[in-house]
Amino acid sequence: MLTNKVFIKKTKSGGVMKIVREHYLRDDISCGSPACDKDCEALDRYPLEEKPISDSKLVPVPHYIVPDTNVVLHQIDILEDPSVKNVIILQIVLDEIRHRSAPIYKRVKDMLCNSAKCFYTYCNEFNMHTYVERKPKESANDRNDRAIRKAVGWYADHLIKAGIEVVLLTNDADNRKQAVAEDLMAFTVHDYVKSLSNQSLIDRLANPLNQSSDFGGKTLFPEHLGLAEIQKGIRSGKYLQGTLLISRENYLEANVSVRDQENMVFVQGLYNLNRAVNDDNVVIEMLPEAEWSCPSSMVMREDDAKDEEDEANESMTDTETLIRNKVPKELRQPTGHVVGIIKRNWRQYCGILQPSVIMERTRHLFIPAEKRIPKIRIETRQAQTLMSKRIIVAIDSWPRNSRYPLGHFVRCLGEVGDKDTENEVLLLEHDVPHANFSEAVLSFLPKMPWTITEEEEKRRRDLRHLDICSVDPPGCTDIDDALHCRELENGNYEVGVHIADVSHFIRPGNALDQEAANRGTTVYLTDKRIDMVPDLLSSNLCSLRCDVFRFAFSVIWEMTKDADIVKTDFTKSIILSKASLTYAQAQIRIDDQNDHGNLTKSLRGLNSLAKILKKKRLDNGALSLASTEVRFHVDSETHDPIDVQTKELRETNSMVEEFMLLANVAVAEKILHEFPDNALLRRHPSPPSSNFGPVIKAAESKGFEIDVSSGKALADSLDKAVVPENPYFNIMLRIMTTRCMMQAVYFCSGMLQPSDYMHYGLAAPVYTHFTSPIRRYSDIIAHRLLAVSIGADSSYQDLLDKSKIQKVCNNLNFRHKMAQYAGRASVNLHTHLFFKKRIQDEEGYVLFVRKNALQVLIPKYGLEGTVFLNDENKKSSSIFVYNEEESTQTAGDVIFHVFDPVIVQLSIDRSNVQHMKLSLKLVKPQVPGFSVPSASESSEQQEMDTSSGTSLSSKSNADVGKPPQKKKKKR
Amino acid sequence: MADVNLSEAEKTFILHSVQDNFRDDGRSCEDFRHMEIETGLISNTNGSARVRLASTDVLVGVKVQLSPVDPENPEVGRMEFFLDCSANATPEFEGRGGEELASEITALLTRAYGCPSTMDYPSLCVLPGQQCWLLYVDILLLECGGNLFDAMSLAVKAALFNTKVPNVTMTKDEGGIELDVSDDPYDFKRLDVTGAPLVVTVNKIGHFHVVDASEKEEACSLARIMLGVTQTGTITAMKKEGSGSLDADSISDMMESAKKVGVLLNKSLLKALGEEEEQGTEAVGFLR
Amino acid sequence: MAGMELLSDQGFRMDGRKSNELRRIRFKKGVFNQADGSAYLEQGNTKVLAAVYGPHEIRGSKSKALHDRVLINCQYSMATFSTQDRKRRPRGDRKSQEMTSHLKQTFDAVVLTELYPKTQLDIYVEVLQSDGGNYCASVNAATLALMDAGIPMKDYVIACAGSFTRETPIIDINHLEESSGGAEVIMAILPRCDQIVFLEMNSRLHEDHLSAVMDHVMAGCKDIFNVLNQQVREELVRRTVQDSLVDSG
Repeated sequence: MLTNKVFIKKTKSGGVMKIVREHYLRDDISCGSPACDKDCEALDRYPLEEKPISDSKLVPVPHYIVPDTNVVLHQIDILEDPSVKNVIILQIVLDEIRHRSAPIYKRVKDMLCNSAKCFYTYCNEFNMHTYVERKPKESANDRNDRAIRKAVGWYADHLIKAGIEVVLLTNDADNRKQAVAEDLMAFTVHDYVKSLSNQSLIDRLANPLNQSSDFGGKTLFPEHLGLAEIQKGIRSGKYLQGTLLISRENYLEANVSVRDQENMVFVQGLYNLNRAVNDDNVVIEMLPEAEWSCPSSMVMREDDAKDEEDEANESMTDTETLIRNKVPKELRQPTGHVVGIIKRNWRQYCGILQPSVIMERTRHLFIPAEKRIPKIRIETRQAQTLMSKRIIVAIDSWPRNSRYPLGHFVRCLGEVGDKDTENEVLLLEHDVPHANFSEAVLSFLPKMPWTITEEEEKRRRDLRHLDICSVDPPGCTDIDDALHCRELENGNYEVGVHIADVSHFIRPGNALDQEAANRGTTVYLTDKRIDMVPDLLSSNLCSLRCDVFRFAFSVIWEMTKDADIVKTDFTKSIILSKASLTYAQAQIRIDDQNDHGNLTKSLRGLNSLAKILKKKRLDNGALSLASTEVRFHVDSETHDPIDVQTKELRETNSMVEEFMLLANVAVAEKILHEFPDNALLRRHPSPPSSNFGPVIKAAESKGFEIDVSSGKALADSLDKAVVPENPYFNIMLRIMTTRCMMQAVYFCSGMLQPSDYMHYGLAAPVYTHFTSPIRRYSDIIAHRLLAVSIGADSSYQDLLDKSKIQKVCNNLNFRHKMAQYAGRASVNLHTHLFFKKRIQDEEGYVLFVRKNALQVLIPKYGLEGTVFLNDENKKSSSIFVYNEEESTQTAGDVIFHVFDPVIVQLSIDRSNVQHMKLSLKLVKPQVPGFSVPSASESSEQQEMDTSSGTSLSSKSNADVGKPPQKKKKKR
Repeated sequence: MADVNLSEAEKTFILHSVQDNFRDDGRSCEDFRHMEIETGLISNTNGSARVRLASTDVLVGVKVQLSPVDPENPEVGRMEFFLDCSANATPEFEGRGGEELASEITALLTRAYGCPSTMDYPSLCVLPGQQCWLLYVDILLLECGGNLFDAMSLAVKAALFNTKVPNVTMTKDEGGIELDVSDDPYDFKRLDVTGAPLVVTVNKIGHFHVVDASEKEEACSLARIMLGVTQTGTITAMKKEGSGSLDADSISDMMESAKKVGVLLNKSLLKALGEEEEQGTEAVGFLR
Repeated sequence: MAGMELLSDQGFRMDGRKSNELRRIRFKKGVFNQADGSAYLEQGNTKVLAAVYGPHEIRGSKSKALHDRVLINCQYSMATFSTQDRKRRPRGDRKSQEMTSHLKQTFDAVVLTELYPKTQLDIYVEVLQSDGGNYCASVNAATLALMDAGIPMKDYVIACAGSFTRETPIIDINHLEESSGGAEVIMAILPRCDQIVFLEMNSRLHEDHLSAVMDHVMAGCKDIFNVLNQQVREELVRRTVQDSLVDSG
């Protein structure tokens, strides 16, 4: 049966179009229930249960649930609860969800795929019996509601003999009334959830907007503009649209990155932020120039737990004073205020409950772990049990008369401070997918025992006779690279880099590939590793372990003794690694005069070539920047960090690194040549000279000039800036330079001009990642591209589509960044655990001088901390005088400059349970009334049972510099 | 028009029979042939109609667009005609063969509807001085069986009757006035076509004249007048065509006939259209 | 309307069809009296009228006549109200010219041209409403018109268009699916001999999928053929019975 869907649309140019679409109605759509006795099509697998157990007092018979759109959108957390099953999502509801909220749509789809949840999508729009035509004078929403009721009615009729009822859940009173009039069962979500025996769900009920509770309170915020007005304003240029980024230093200030505009617009104060939350897509209006302001150069401190009313009063006055302080003209930045919100980007937030004075109250404040998110008001009866736990909360709305947004409790993670819970929080907050690999994903793994088939042998070059070995950190199980080197008859060397052939096992498009693409990278926490690919591949079949045959993707060069490349060859191969060495073992072998074995000769050859290659790179202008590298010794039983040790760098580290770089460059050139439009490459844009401000200033203070005109110039000036009495000065300068760097990113070659391909840090015109496919997805794509270009594998559609490759790059960049943040947060966590039991005095250097604080770097732990200069209670005026131009703080005779050595006392400040801070107090130089006496030097020397070593990474932006972590992180 | 070759005998027969108020298919001089009208065939137009007058087949589609006003008439809507002589009608219309005929007919229809009293043009104005509705009336000639002008004007009137113009809401803003077109397919207004004219062609054969000439009769006629006549008998346009000459008396006779016939034709057309709309069935079109 | 999925998870397209289902086809032969053969065909919302004149003497310059075959002259024209946006020129633009030459090529291959040397056969196609698959509907309508005119042909010529989305080939695509940016494969075949007369592909399609799509499109053509053939035969039987009744009565 055929009808036509007709509607009128207005085109952008002002024209009017009448759109006519065909709409075919069918009668062969199955109802999805195995209990159906009518002639519905038999399915292999029935999504709905035959005897749905009824848990509700309102509906004592077996029943299926049909929610309407708003119920799904607002109460998704309840639907996700494992006890909620047998839900029918109508096609019309699903379509509306897709249009209104992409993240919720994804969650609904996941539930639909999950067979345990027993969800079913019923295509009511295509079924002859349940399709409704829009009546004259009926709005689109009314028509949709009518369609939902019709579908429910049809279902009820259909299953009447099977004895299963169908219940409509909707919070729309009108809809409910009409449903009841049509003899259907309809309830609000609240009534239904309250009637369930599982009472914990009640806590999860979200407060819809129109139920904004009685805070009585005045309207604190201006109204948000409606969509139509916003669109008009944007078109006329009166309003600007952009994403809100709350400042990390001050939670009351934010920048809006406006579309199509380079400069960010500044927004200051709670009132001007007008209920916008970090990452929301907002609409702002510029303030008149006289009201422009600038970020305060103070570092905002954590608010202590205050009672709500107090807090409200205080913050508002705070902002008023902020506004009243007239900012000098030169420092003013374009400032605006939020007038409307286009799209909220709320997610679920981890955090803790704020201890409330009155425990019996049901309303509590939730403090998120993420500092940029405001506190959230939730209703819960379990406050007592949840008080010391980490919980997850989702925001529902932020009414105008409420100081805080309103939300609801989702679930509990565990005790605060418990290592596993904290790890979980870390992973959730950084959006790291860490669930176990699903059945679907595991089904694509090869069946064990795995052997090499004859077919494969024919397709690959047999390199099992070569003396290949791998060199990795101790305890490494995922070996992705191996090397060999041998002399040829003509006096040249043959050097080979063999990389695990992961792309052979992970075929494009299947669930395993999709999961790896989503994860993007292996995430390294100090005590845990979240793998990108399942263990079978990463530690076994792909890993180039010694004494077993393994598949590899090899890059083989012929080069002269002076490391000039004569020939480059790429091939898929089978290798047999003769030894899996650690860096230390390899170094010992090279240094051993009596060892003349082939393997050792190969290592020596590699070593000497590597040195030449490195020199060439540095001459070319590659940067060698510093990072602070430390290793934690972890107690094998409690897994608490015992002591810290700086990492040693041996020649062998550098040797492996050089060849990995060489391989990456060779592959980059090859795939760019073959696929100029869609090669996946890595670039490092050169930083604008303004970024180098602090470094230049700091070097000037010691009389050195830093030339930032080019990479080579920078490298040379850094080499020259050495103060013999203070060897750490040069390292600190390099650390500061590292922070000026831009982030290196993945990109698709077709999206940028060739002049933008360069990698500033490595001084290479093109670069990609090829050598670690086990832990990075970008390498898998590079493998696939290379395989197609040498004819070793077939291509597939998405590989050749440059916009798809760019999308992959965008995801990889995001995951990479999040993985770095997660790693750093994990390190912070362990640092705090380490200092839990100690107070120690350490040497440090002043890195930055701020208005109310000194930022100090402690080389031994690779830590950075802040010494606050004002008094905590702000009663007495500060004894320090801040000189902004010279960047100094003066107190009496003592002047603090950048790079000054100091001694500070480290301890843990436990006043805020979620954000335990490292508290630094000044010991030397002595400032009366401020410095503290030195601590007693009783450090506990426990037995060092080293099981696993953990490393601290530095806060480097680019991945230039000595890589830390279990696995060598290549640039 | 397709060439029809007539023998002398046939021509004589036609001439003489007209004198006796007989035509070769049995009609009287002021009778129209059997005609079929159907509206609402083409779903992606705002209005459409098909007229089949014996073997003349015409299809009209009306599309509306918002457009800037005509500076000379800033308070009224506009209408534009376009005729496409399809090669289906006769191979001579292939390529640009039918353009001459098309321009003739378009010109006459434009003049006939150009008179302000024929259609409610002011109601088509959306924003005085700025935006108005522009009606594109596109005529497709599918088969030629004589008396093209009449058939086309019938189809145009029927299509205009069938046209649904979406309602527009205006919202004032600092940046200007925003026009929002209603997306509800039931929210439209209809055009008032009671004043729309119908073209009646009167052919002079011998000393007498006939209305709705078939191709054979047209081949015998040397002169004809086309008149645009409304329901009330008002004449909105007039054109004389043909190689022959007419004297003033015959012209006034012909005009009287045309007026009489035109008034009746208008009435019966509107009645038929009203009946069709009441029935409300889906259009069958060419499938019948 | 970005973000519309052409094929939903449940296997339905936007208009409710499954991936291998055709749109509704309705047609009538012999719509006009004056043309030698005519047909009207609807495929979904695409409505096409075809008329055939001939074989008749060459019009225009006699030099164009082919001494051993009939000269097939096609014209493809679209009504100005046929598309969403009003078209200014019904024919003469490049797209119509291209369609015209495609039609000519298609029918050159199938009409028994040797039977009418030195003559001309005109095939005129007029698209009344366009919703995707214009070429296919034109070819199908023209085949019916030629049958109505009694021109001998080797076989029916049936055309169908297909595309590829979410690892599934879909056939008989409408305008929305055509303009979504995916690959489009148009094929015209002689269904009983399995011969391909016309094949065209737009956009990009990975070669691994090409044969799958072509197979599906060919199956689609055969389905259309069954629909047309059945109705044509029924009509023929009915008319023969009627005629014989008339004769006998």
